[in-house]
Amino acid sequence: MRLTIVAVVLAALTACSAPGETSGSAGEATGPIKIANINAQSGQLSSLGKWENKGVKLAVDEANKAGGVNGRQIQLDLFDDQGDPTVGTNLARKISSEGYVAMLGTAESAVTLAMAPILKTAKIPNITSGQSPKLADLKSPFLFLNAPTSVTFDETLAKYLVDEKAYKKIALISNNGAYGSGEHDAFIKSLKSRNLTPVADEVVTPEQKDFNSNLAKIRQQNPEVLFIGAEEVQSGLIAKQARELGVKAIFAGGAPMGTDVYATTAGLANAEGSVVSSPYLSNEASPAGKEFATKYKAAYGEDAELHGAKAYDGASILIEALKKTGGKGGQELADAIRGVKRDGLLGQYNYDDFGVGIHETKIGLIKQGKAFPATAS
Amino acid sequence: MQVFLQTLIGGITFGAVYALVAMGFSIVYRTMGLVNFAHGSVVMIGAYAASTFYMASRVPFAVAIVVAIVVTGLIGLIIERFLRPLENKDFTLMLIGTIGFGAVLEALAILIWGATGRAVPNPVATEPLDLGGVRIPTYSLLVIGVAALATGMLAWFLRRTKLGAAMQAVAMDHEAATACGIHVGRSNAMAFGIGACLAAVAGSLIGPMLYVNPTMGGTLGIKGFAAAMLGGFGSMPGAIVGGLAFGLLDAFAAGNFQGYSDLVTFVVFALAVMIRPTGIFGETTVNRA
Repeated sequence: MRLTIVAVVLAALTACSAPGETSGSAGEATGPIKIANINAQSGQLSSLGKWENKGVKLAVDEANKAGGVNGRQIQLDLFDDQGDPTVGTNLARKISSEGYVAMLGTAESAVTLAMAPILKTAKIPNITSGQSPKLADLKSPFLFLNAPTSVTFDETLAKYLVDEKAYKKIALISNNGAYGSGEHDAFIKSLKSRNLTPVADEVVTPEQKDFNSNLAKIRQQNPEVLFIGAEEVQSGLIAKQARELGVKAIFAGGAPMGTDVYATTAGLANAEGSVVSSPYLSNEASPAGKEFATKYKAAYGEDAELHGAKAYDGASILIEALKKTGGKGGQELADAIRGVKRDGLLGQYNYDDFGVGIHETKIGLIKQGKAFPATAS
Repeated sequence: MQVFLQTLIGGITFGAVYALVAMGFSIVYRTMGLVNFAHGSVVMIGAYAASTFYMASRVPFAVAIVVAIVVTGLIGLIIERFLRPLENKDFTLMLIGTIGFGAVLEALAILIWGATGRAVPNPVATEPLDLGGVRIPTYSLLVIGVAALATGMLAWFLRRTKLGAAMQAVAMDHEAATACGIHVGRSNAMAFGIGACLAAVAGSLIGPMLYVNPTMGGTLGIKGFAAAMLGGFGSMPGAIVGGLAFGLLDAFAAGNFQGYSDLVTFVVFALAVMIRPTGIFGETTVNRA
């Protein structure tokens, strides 16, 4: 009796584990097309990872509902990289051995950079949400960005602040993590090309919470503009403490400052008037954005934001390319992605040899915690 | 001078919170000889509990803190109850147990509140005080005041009450304390409970200063632990001095060493511990491991 129970349980177990494992390797041309979504689902950066996954899932579910790719369904599998490059490289090897045709993610430039060589060798196209200029510098034919690089963000910002508004006294505060240092270098470069040197240039660590010392030094220079190069939460903390210290400068920065997280962390009053450079200012900025936001809200019961939008764009581009190749991966798919011209949520996608598809951002101003296009005011 | 004084304000505010976290580590260590690695996560739960009640039910902030203390106090008791069978049997397993509880609490927080975290509005939304160009946020004063109050109450409890005296006795010699009729298990539970209550106070206070998310306990835990070591692990005055010292060290390193501030902070910390392994107020007698 006991033996039969064991036998039944064993049979059930093998039956359970079977489908996901076998369908991909057995029927390449008939089974579902396997796409991996690799993003942090745990740890410090998991909020980005969750947003990204929601955007990707929305696009894939839509495509599957509309009949998939030439009748084949898309199988989207989510992997957790914990925001850790080492975990990322392990996952890159895993997906290349398990027959995935493409990879979407990650939101962390550092993780994507670590995975890029493996995916290039395995000929698996990767559409990433990272925006470090280092990603473009790789010039990998299998790596694509779904957003502009920091260079574009900060050049647009400098153009607005210096050329249009004629601000001269600009201070910087940025963290020395992958994102912050990219922002720092790109913005300094843009200032230099306009013959400006910042009146203060403070560097903090990504984990730092108390900025009294750095901000007191900045306050002494009495800058007109304070450029913040940090992620959402840290940007918010810097803005809050700067106002508490009586720094009157206008805050300016990249996409993180267009988010709700930034505005609520800083406090709505402190965030008011912040200048942000972003390809996706708000859900209300375009009709396509509005439609996306409605679908997103219906699917997840929460408001859409930049990360979901760019992940949605990335996934849509991949699906469009897959339709052209008939579900085939490798070099053919990479070429097809390069060929996609899409009027996306973030703008006009037109991939160059560096894998960058979007070449401009927009300037927005924060009002009541929401970003509005600067021209409208 | 202005920069110096402003740095001081920031350092003391964060130092007060580190001191509270350090006291939580120390009270468990001096009673049981155990480092409670789940402590950082308990701080995080405290921050979530307080902010949830403060923001959702709009109760006064002080009431929210009390609720958070009750919630985390219970968690402390539960952790101790799980670890009790191992007491004096397998110390390493107990340590790993606390690490495990930390991971469990973090996972629970993600399940209950989600991974994205939340910003907590400032409960005393008034203009900062301006003293000759040095700005002191009113909330910083509140943080320092509450931390001092909690410290005072703990000192009174340990010195002036029978239960507190019993805990001191267990800390000194648990076998002799047992012989005197003191229930060591209950004393341990009390230590864990009080440690968790301190974590709740620290968490509630830090919430409006930072951003509450499931992983916030990591850094706070490490810095609080380092502060406890610096002051002398197991010593209550040591935890306070260590916390403030660590806060100030952190603040001045940030201003002077920019991106290398973490490196400098922990190198100075390592040197201090090398020169004086027992910390500033180190008591060598509490080591039961």
